[in-house]
Amino acid sequence: MMDKLKLGVFELTDCGGCALNILFLYEKLFDLLEFYEIEEFHMATSLSEGSHYDVALVTGTVSTRRDLNLLKKARNHSEYLIALGTCATHGSVQGSVELPIREKLKAVYGDESNPMHALDPKPVVEHVAVDFALPGCPYDKEEVFQALIDIAKGVEPVKKDYPVCLECKLNEYECVLVKKELPCLGPITYGGCNAACVRSGLGCIGCRGPLPGEANPASEYEILKDKGYDDEYIVRKFKTFARWEP
Amino acid sequence: MIIELREFTRVEGNGKAEIVIEDGEVKDVRLKIVEGPRFFELLTLGRHYYDVPDLEARICAICYLSHSVASVLGIERAFGVEVPEEIALLRELGLIGELIESHALHLYLLVAPDVFGYPDAIRMATKHGELVKEGITIKAFGNRIRELIGGREIHGINVKPGGFGRYPTVEELEMIEKESEALLRLAKRAVRLFASLGPYGAQATHFVATDGYLWGEKLISDEEGSFHYTERIEERSLIYSFTKQSRYNGEAFLVGSLARLLLKSEMLTPTAGRLFEEHREKLATGYVSYNNLAQAIELVYALERANEIAKTLLDRGIEGENVPVEPGEGEGIGYVEAPRGVLVHHYRIDANGKVAYSNIITPTALNHVMMEASLLEEARRLHGKADDRAMVQRLEETVRAFDPCISCSVHIVRL
Repeated sequence: MMDKLKLGVFELTDCGGCALNILFLYEKLFDLLEFYEIEEFHMATSLSEGSHYDVALVTGTVSTRRDLNLLKKARNHSEYLIALGTCATHGSVQGSVELPIREKLKAVYGDESNPMHALDPKPVVEHVAVDFALPGCPYDKEEVFQALIDIAKGVEPVKKDYPVCLECKLNEYECVLVKKELPCLGPITYGGCNAACVRSGLGCIGCRGPLPGEANPASEYEILKDKGYDDEYIVRKFKTFARWEP
Repeated sequence: MIIELREFTRVEGNGKAEIVIEDGEVKDVRLKIVEGPRFFELLTLGRHYYDVPDLEARICAICYLSHSVASVLGIERAFGVEVPEEIALLRELGLIGELIESHALHLYLLVAPDVFGYPDAIRMATKHGELVKEGITIKAFGNRIRELIGGREIHGINVKPGGFGRYPTVEELEMIEKESEALLRLAKRAVRLFASLGPYGAQATHFVATDGYLWGEKLISDEEGSFHYTERIEERSLIYSFTKQSRYNGEAFLVGSLARLLLKSEMLTPTAGRLFEEHREKLATGYVSYNNLAQAIELVYALERANEIAKTLLDRGIEGENVPVEPGEGEGIGYVEAPRGVLVHHYRIDANGKVAYSNIITPTALNHVMMEASLLEEARRLHGKADDRAMVQRLEETVRAFDPCISCSVHIVRL
């Protein structure tokens, strides 16, 4: 039998969801273990024995010097690195506050001294080159499963090339932007979540970041403006998950 | 001399401990949260109230629904909105789903490897596959409820001020009724397994919880009367950690499963109540390690209560009507029991319906002092007797007993 690939899961600063989502694969996690050996995954195991990884999954933003060191370790010791989740690909919510780090620390902790070496939070892709970027807050767990299987079989994982809007049409969900006038970012958001928010009858909040290329944010902006949403509201909504567009 | 331990494993988030040794004695232990700050208070400042619960959910994946519900409660109270029983029961059902998901993850996948001496559940599965499978089955059921009520396994946006985006169907409620009954047998077995864990860590003497079992209007403790957090809990910044420490009337205290059982046993369901009585003496010693056993008893509670709620809703039928929300200037506090303890979301909202102030206090921050006290006791007990490896193992077990959620703990502070 072929040697198993060595997998490392590295968590920078985040909510834990992108690592947890791997555990939510349930039985399918054991299918992955036919191809992979987990060398590093601190949420799940006390073992940490790797010095080389065939595949590294990195979640979270670089928010501290510790995060940056860990990211460099993951990059320098891995063949294929996946930036996993919107924190790693676009900065997500914690990357969206546009203030210098010291001002943020002062506002929240009452003190701008920085003994724990916090950095201005940025996505993984701003610091190192990545081999694949899989956004989503969180990403759909099937996506990471498929990507890891593809890599194990020597196939390059496929990037989605359609917006959330298309998934609504496939599911025949009622359009909440047109019918309910809800601020829905589905037309310009990178698909792959199977339109989770619209399934709840609510507008897409754009947690997977903008679809590069074909989507038309200017037209989305005009539509929301026509529906009575003010400038500040729309701009903040656009930037909530994706201030750092790759 | 300062011994810095490796970062904790099999806990949510990034943290570690430092042991301070002077003249050959353990002088102090510091619990350092090395997860970076996330600035949620700045993120929600000036945001329209309607979008806030979806953002707050992102504080934590394991307990996102607790954050959404606490946020919604804080906002509704600021506007004086009252919801009917149907909405209240569905929210409770969501919190129960989260409790099941989180406790099952913690007990079966993170703690059980300590019971059997494995580094993780995956390797444990080679000998104890059945147990790992049971844990995954229970966890998946909790997640299914989170998906139905919350909108997605992680970070759904279905819980809104005034109600829900989508209401569950009769078939979905019937599934919950059936499954909760079928899984009860497994949860009872978990109680027997986790009752075998001995006492370690410190003994808590003060306990704090919400006045309802999974949410409330106010907080209660082992002393007289109910209160708002501002009346008896004070927070202090730490220079060595991205978290604040809280004390109850100046003293260490415990929140979470053990605190809930000890303060609210009369609210338990029949089987869970009996199991609590059976183990009452042990639990009442307050050893923090018994939080694991308390979680197992709560799994039984959660499955029985999910069954009750599903039955009640099926009897009454689902109306699916949201309550209108009239935004206006106001202040409100939402209190929820996240799986690992009391969670507070406090908001002031301006006349335009935008957040003017927010303060979030999480269970892991509330337990911080108790965690350090427990680490100190264990380090003193083991210093000079155990090698480094055994020391790290036991200190990790001690922290793990609190089921800490470090992602949650790093943005607890007020503006």
